[in-house]
Amino acid sequence: MKKIIAFAAGALLASGTGVALAQSQQDAKTLATDVCSACHGPEGHSISPVFPRLAGQQRGYLIVQLDAFRNHTRADPNAQAYMWGMASQLSDATIKEVANYYASQKPPHGTAGDPALMAEGKKIYTQGIKAQNVQACETCHGPNAEGAGAFPRLAGQHVDYLIAQLQGFQSGTRSNAPIMQNVVRTMTPGQLKAAATYAASK
Amino acid sequence: MHKGKLRTLIAAFAMASGGLLLAPGSAQAVPSFARQTGFACEACHTVFPELTPFGRRFKLNAYTIDNLPQVSGMTPSKEKTLALNQLPPLSLMLQFSYTRTAKAQPDDAIAGADAKNGQVLVPQQASLFYAGKIAPDFGGFVQITYDGVDNGFVWDNTDVRYAQSVNDKLLWGISFNNNPTVQDPYNSTPAWQSPFDQTSSVLPGDGPGAATLLDGSQFDMSTAGLSVYAYFNNSVYAELGAYHGAPNGFGKLDSAVDVPVIDGLAPYWRLAYERQWGRKSWEVGAYGMEAKVFPADGTIALSGATDKYSDWAIDSQYQYIGDQNLLTLTGTYIDEKQTLDATFGMGGSANASNTLKTFRLNASYYYQRKYGAALGYFSTTGSADSGLYAQGDPVSGFANDKPDSKGWIAELDWVPYENTKFALQYTMYNKFNGGDTNYDGLGRDAKDNNTLYLLSWINF
Repeated sequence: MKKIIAFAAGALLASGTGVALAQSQQDAKTLATDVCSACHGPEGHSISPVFPRLAGQQRGYLIVQLDAFRNHTRADPNAQAYMWGMASQLSDATIKEVANYYASQKPPHGTAGDPALMAEGKKIYTQGIKAQNVQACETCHGPNAEGAGAFPRLAGQHVDYLIAQLQGFQSGTRSNAPIMQNVVRTMTPGQLKAAATYAASK
Repeated sequence: MHKGKLRTLIAAFAMASGGLLLAPGSAQAVPSFARQTGFACEACHTVFPELTPFGRRFKLNAYTIDNLPQVSGMTPSKEKTLALNQLPPLSLMLQFSYTRTAKAQPDDAIAGADAKNGQVLVPQQASLFYAGKIAPDFGGFVQITYDGVDNGFVWDNTDVRYAQSVNDKLLWGISFNNNPTVQDPYNSTPAWQSPFDQTSSVLPGDGPGAATLLDGSQFDMSTAGLSVYAYFNNSVYAELGAYHGAPNGFGKLDSAVDVPVIDGLAPYWRLAYERQWGRKSWEVGAYGMEAKVFPADGTIALSGATDKYSDWAIDSQYQYIGDQNLLTLTGTYIDEKQTLDATFGMGGSANASNTLKTFRLNASYYYQRKYGAALGYFSTTGSADSGLYAQGDPVSGFANDKPDSKGWIAELDWVPYENTKFALQYTMYNKFNGGDTNYDGLGRDAKDNNTLYLLSWINF
């Protein structure tokens, strides 16, 4: 009898969880289709560089950022203008499902930029700038700028978006990434542009 | 009926309350939306009331994107029956203005005397809005306005919508609204034309005396329209609908009605293609309307012959929305054919049919969404008609039997906060009501109507 009760309880629990999960997956898909896509484009392929491409972005990174929008620790101007409102009512479960949705979309392809910028950017990306104590980007973002966990994919991203983020780390308007704030501290505007151009081209 | 009076009233109809320089425009930018979504104004507006690509999508999506705690309702089969914002998305708008014309207007009652030049309106207009979600997939933009010139409340712009996303590329919806083009997502069409959406409500002669049917709210919100639309891939917008006469304030529609009334249904159509790339977008489109109208003026029966207006129009809008620099170009051309069975039958016009054309081209620039400058050219031209466009009335009379008005408009803007705008605007007429010098036959020149307009516009 005990076994039966335990089994029934287990089944009930399992089915309950299943329903909740299916529900949040459904919600996340609907949310992405009906709401997020207005700025981030169908399946996360945005057109305007104001809005990052989310297709193929790292799940861990998306979760961290959505949480940071929700608790206002990511506070750059566009985060405040758009995402503070957008993320305010998201539950932890929905955040995870939205992150899953975008992480599983096909990532965008990068396109090569100006050759001189690409050459300078490649150097910074792969070797860093020793004289300025700037670490190589690929240490965290990977050789193909695909990112890992909380470190975002940069490949295929809008160059303008990446530059705006680097500028935000530098000016302190985006202060939810201490590692990046430290990395860009001494970089010149030209170096930021070169690094962003190369990373986005991957 | 007295011919002179009819003529005046038809001219009054022609100007009604719409048109480039006729209407004290209305406001679309409302903090209600910001309250509901949590978005700053800049998400949906370059500078209010002009919409960004996201603002267009928000509008077409029936104003339903929502980030407020909700009061919810659901059936046992999990169909959502209620999603009501816990706090209503309300907002207020205040407009104060100063208007000065190059030459004072004559006093209406005392011959030879002038009215005082330099009019301050506190307020020019004050509005209350409900703007936002009403239920799942259902939202509205509803405006009630106190008009400082009429010294009374009027029912203003109304756009109530239902919309559904089919997938992340296609959405469709239904709009119920009270003013043709008020439902349009672009700022090149008359109702929300940018950047000169606001002009003085005390222009000389109430502004140029002729305007095409589509060029603004000819019917003074006295219509009820229903249209179905679809928006595909942020690029193709198609809409088809019809308007019915719906004058406010009349228990039955008889000769007491003094606003033009549509007879039957007036079809309205719209097709636009937009391309978005990077920070730029470019739209080209066409729209049109066919209406049979009783030229009701408080004296005629609302039966029998009507005037037929057949309008088609093209429009275009270009936007560059940078972090520092923003540029917008808008333009429209409206071609109207009038078949004046009613007016001609009553002796109000010299011709049984006329044409009227509107052309407008505008450019505006903003630096950091804070400091702006804009320049525009406007023109209304049409066939001569000695009945419709005659001399004799001070300021509002016509020269050469022609409806033509042309000129330039320039504006400087300061937007210290995203919801507060100060504008200094100057309108210069090369031609006013058919002539450049002595157009009203009483010695007034077109340039005497050049208007300096100062506006402070606050939304909260």
